[in-house]
Amino acid sequence: MNTITLIARKEGGELLLSGRGLAWLLALSVIMSVLSLLLVSNTELSLLDNAQVVYMVMGTVTALGALLAVVLGSDAVAGERERGSLMPLLLAPVTPSQIVFGKMGGQIAGWLVMYLLSLPYVWAVGSSGQNLIQAVTYLALFGTPVVLGFGFLGIALSARLRSVRSALLTSLITLMLLASPLLLGPSLRQSTIGQLFDAVNPFSAAVNTFDSVVIDSQPLVMQLTRLSIALVWLVLTAVFAIRSVRKMEI
Amino acid sequence: MKKIIIHLFLNLFILSVGNAWAADSLGISLAPDQANLVSPQMGDWLKFHSVIENTGAQAADGVVAWISLVQVDPGHEQPVDLEDWSAHKAVTQAILQPGQQVKVDWPMRLIQSGAYRVVISAVDRETGHVMTSPFVDFQVRRKPVVESGRILPVALGVPMLVLGMIAWRRYRRRAGV
Repeated sequence: MNTITLIARKEGGELLLSGRGLAWLLALSVIMSVLSLLLVSNTELSLLDNAQVVYMVMGTVTALGALLAVVLGSDAVAGERERGSLMPLLLAPVTPSQIVFGKMGGQIAGWLVMYLLSLPYVWAVGSSGQNLIQAVTYLALFGTPVVLGFGFLGIALSARLRSVRSALLTSLITLMLLASPLLLGPSLRQSTIGQLFDAVNPFSAAVNTFDSVVIDSQPLVMQLTRLSIALVWLVLTAVFAIRSVRKMEI
Repeated sequence: MKKIIIHLFLNLFILSVGNAWAADSLGISLAPDQANLVSPQMGDWLKFHSVIENTGAQAADGVVAWISLVQVDPGHEQPVDLEDWSAHKAVTQAILQPGQQVKVDWPMRLIQSGAYRVVISAVDRETGHVMTSPFVDFQVRRKPVVESGRILPVALGVPMLVLGMIAWRRYRRRAGV
C-alpha cells in the first residue's frame, strides 16, 4: 500500500472509527432526520411539489457535506501541528505532496460517507416523485466537486494559517458566503450583483443545477457551464491546497 | 335647489338601473375537458374549455376574459390566488364581431386539496358590468408530498445506526479487542 493510500485510509478511518468522527456523523444524520420530519409535518409545505422537497434535501446535503469537509480540512494540517504530530509526519519518509494527496483522499472518503448517509433520506423524500435517479446522480456529479473544493480550501488554509481555529473560521465564513444562495431565494438573486455572484459561485452552480434537473427536468447539456464552474472551483482549490502544503513551514 | 338635487339623484338612479338591466353582450360557456380525471388529486392537471361569443348586435371591443377559482369548503370559503394554479390567467380579444366566437382552453394544475368552483368572467369596453359563465365545481384529493411511511423509518433508523456504531466501538474498546 503506498503512502498516499495509507494517509487517506487513516484520515477516512478517523471519520468512521473515532468517537469524534462518529459524533459528527450522528449530528449530521440528526440534522437530516429533523429536516425530513419537518417536511412530513409541515402542512404549508404541502403546497410544494415533491421535486421541490427533493431539491431542498439535495441543497442541504451539499451544505452539510461542505461543512464536514471544511471541518476535516481545517484540522488536516493545523490539527496535526497543534497535536504535535506534524513534525513526526514530516520526518517520516513522505513528501509534502504525498501528505496533501493523502489528506485529499481523506476528504474524498469523508464526502463518500456523507453521500452514502444522505441516500436513504433522498430516497425517502424522492421515491414518490419522478426525478429520484436524477437527484442521486446529480448530487454525486455536482456535490462532489463543490464539497471537495471546500475541503481542499480547508486544507490550504490549515497549512497557511497554522491554527485550526483561524483556518476553520476563515473556511466557515467562505462557506457561509458561497452557500448564501440556499438562504436567499431566486428572486433575491435577480439583481445584477446577484446574477454576477451566481455566475461564478460553485455553490450556486450546484444549487441551480439541482433546481434545473429535479424541478424543471432539464437535460445535462444545459448544465455543462455550471459543471465547468464546479470543476474549475475543484481544480483551483486543489492547486491552492497542494501549493500551501508544499510551502508550509514547521 | 331641492329640485335640482332630486333631479340629479333621479338621473343617477336611472343610469345605474339602466346599466344593471343592460343585456349581456357576451355569452360565455364553460365545460370541463372530457379527459379530466373523475377524482383528481394534488399535482394533477385539469382542463376547462370556454367559448366566449358576442351575442349582441354590435362588435365588442377590448374583450378581456379571465378565470377565477373559489374554494368552497365550509369554513374555508375564499378566493384562490391562481399564481401557481393556472397557466392562463386572462385572455384578450381586441374586437369580437357579432356572432363571432373565441374558444379558450384553461389548463389548471391542482395545488391544494379541497372543494373548488371555477368560473370565467369577461368584460368589454362598452358593457358596464362583468359577464360570467356558469360555475363548474370540482373536488381535489389530498396527496402527501412526502410519504411519512418512508420518512419515519429513515429519520429514526439512520441516527440509530450511527449510535449503534458508536456503541459497538465503545464495546470493542472496553473489551480490548
